[in-house]
Amino acid sequence: MNAPQASAVPAAPAALQQPAQRASVGGLRYPTNRKTIYDRNLNRSRTSELSKASFAYLFGEMVSYAQRRVTGIQDLERRLNVQGHPLGLRLLDLLLYREPTRSVQRPTRILPLLQFITTTLWKHLFSRSADALERSKDNEDEYMISDNDPLVNQYISVPKEMNQLNCAAYVAGIIEGICDGTGFAARVTAHSVPTELWPAKTVFLIKFEPEVMEREAFLEKAR
Amino acid sequence: MSYYFAIVGTKDNPLFEHEFGTSKQGGDGVARFREEARHMNQFIVHSSLDIVEEVQWGNGQMYLKVIDRFYNNYVSCFLTGGNIKFLLLHAPTTPKAIRSFFVDVYEIWVKTLMNPFYHIDMEVRSPVFRSRVVAAGRKYL
Amino acid sequence: MAGRNLPLEAPLRPRYVGAADVAEWKVMVVFALIVINKAGGLIYHREFHEGLNKLSVNDYLVLAGTFHGVHAITKNLCPLPRTPGQPPTGIEVLESESFRLQCFQTLTGTKFLLFTEPHQPNIDGIIRKVYELYSDYVMKNPFYQIEMPIRCDAFDRHLASYIKPRQ
Repeated sequence: MNAPQASAVPAAPAALQQPAQRASVGGLRYPTNRKTIYDRNLNRSRTSELSKASFAYLFGEMVSYAQRRVTGIQDLERRLNVQGHPLGLRLLDLLLYREPTRSVQRPTRILPLLQFITTTLWKHLFSRSADALERSKDNEDEYMISDNDPLVNQYISVPKEMNQLNCAAYVAGIIEGICDGTGFAARVTAHSVPTELWPAKTVFLIKFEPEVMEREAFLEKAR
Repeated sequence: MSYYFAIVGTKDNPLFEHEFGTSKQGGDGVARFREEARHMNQFIVHSSLDIVEEVQWGNGQMYLKVIDRFYNNYVSCFLTGGNIKFLLLHAPTTPKAIRSFFVDVYEIWVKTLMNPFYHIDMEVRSPVFRSRVVAAGRKYL
Repeated sequence: MAGRNLPLEAPLRPRYVGAADVAEWKVMVVFALIVINKAGGLIYHREFHEGLNKLSVNDYLVLAGTFHGVHAITKNLCPLPRTPGQPPTGIEVLESESFRLQCFQTLTGTKFLLFTEPHQPNIDGIIRKVYELYSDYVMKNPFYQIEMPIRCDAFDRHLASYIKPRQ
């Protein structure tokens, strides 16, 4: 209905430059409003927010989907993790793109990477920073990010027989995607650590691979 | 002046390549590489990947400037957050123009990533992507 | 609501509303809550405040089944809806000397039964809030199977923090 109207509206010269060339391209289908993904603005959603209820229903369906023909709780968590992983890879570049161009830095050390996750990523996804970032006392290569009330788990009550499960494994997958993307191979898992005040408190355990720690030590020395 | 532009994935696999000529000073935007130089371009760019890996940890910038040269062929690199390399082979020129070109390509690249059907390290076949890269080249180089 | 059309009354409203709020705050006594699915099965029951004798689980099941039947029959007593577009409602309130039983049926046929003190104000508000908690913490939970007994920690928790501290 509104397709002709929409195609008449764009005043951007770039969009009008090669309509003939575009129309001749075979095998590529355009959306009805003639706008491809390349015509969209990457900053458009900076201030707009999404409905929490619709996310809750969508995430509920994702969990149900992951649950089909699952062999166990670990398998279910792995599937949720896998669903989040590509999102992390994408968000990494999107969020870096949205930083001011002059000052943007790729994270090259562990700490800036974790700060990027706990502030930039968390603010983008959940509109607030993560609640804590700690280094494990026992293991050098382990870091922990705590969230007192993860948004994804807000409406979820895990049945007693599955009490090992934490659906924030999905968020762990997003974190893992970001770590992998930046070249810090890591294994990220979500663990429930309920407290009196925060019954849904979740700790994301990030365990970096040995080669990452080796490089980190080398960079520390070179500084 | 002629340019050879390549995007290289995280496993050193080529995702996209494009040859073009300058559009400044009356250039027509067509690449004029000698026929035997063409395959050399790929070799030169590929051999610079090792240097990218050395440079990338010492410097958090995305635009790594000129990282390698082979006689009069210079290789400039731009590294995305997801470890994808944009490599441009060129004769000596102003780094500012190359930087602007890379920044434009980065924007198109992030848009490609936003496509739910695009997976990491997949070859980019979109003709729209190519036309946007051409437009960025025409604008700055 | 009526006050909104009469600006002259406006200065009086804050004092009146304030007094009502305080009254509600003090005397919110909810004895128990029952949720009945659309087949008449008991899917949730919970006691909050002392005041009624304890019933066995079996009695709760019978109560739920019986009420469901009675509700279905009363609905047929007057099959023409009073307000056009709305389905006819069945029994809504049962009152006794020591408690009041309020029923709220959702559009999908789930019934919430609230046992309160006889003169409890704002029952509609309480029951709506319970419905809201149900739709948030039960219906959005991927592990809840529709029409099955409700076992959701988050629902229990939020219900308690809404009803308990306000007595």
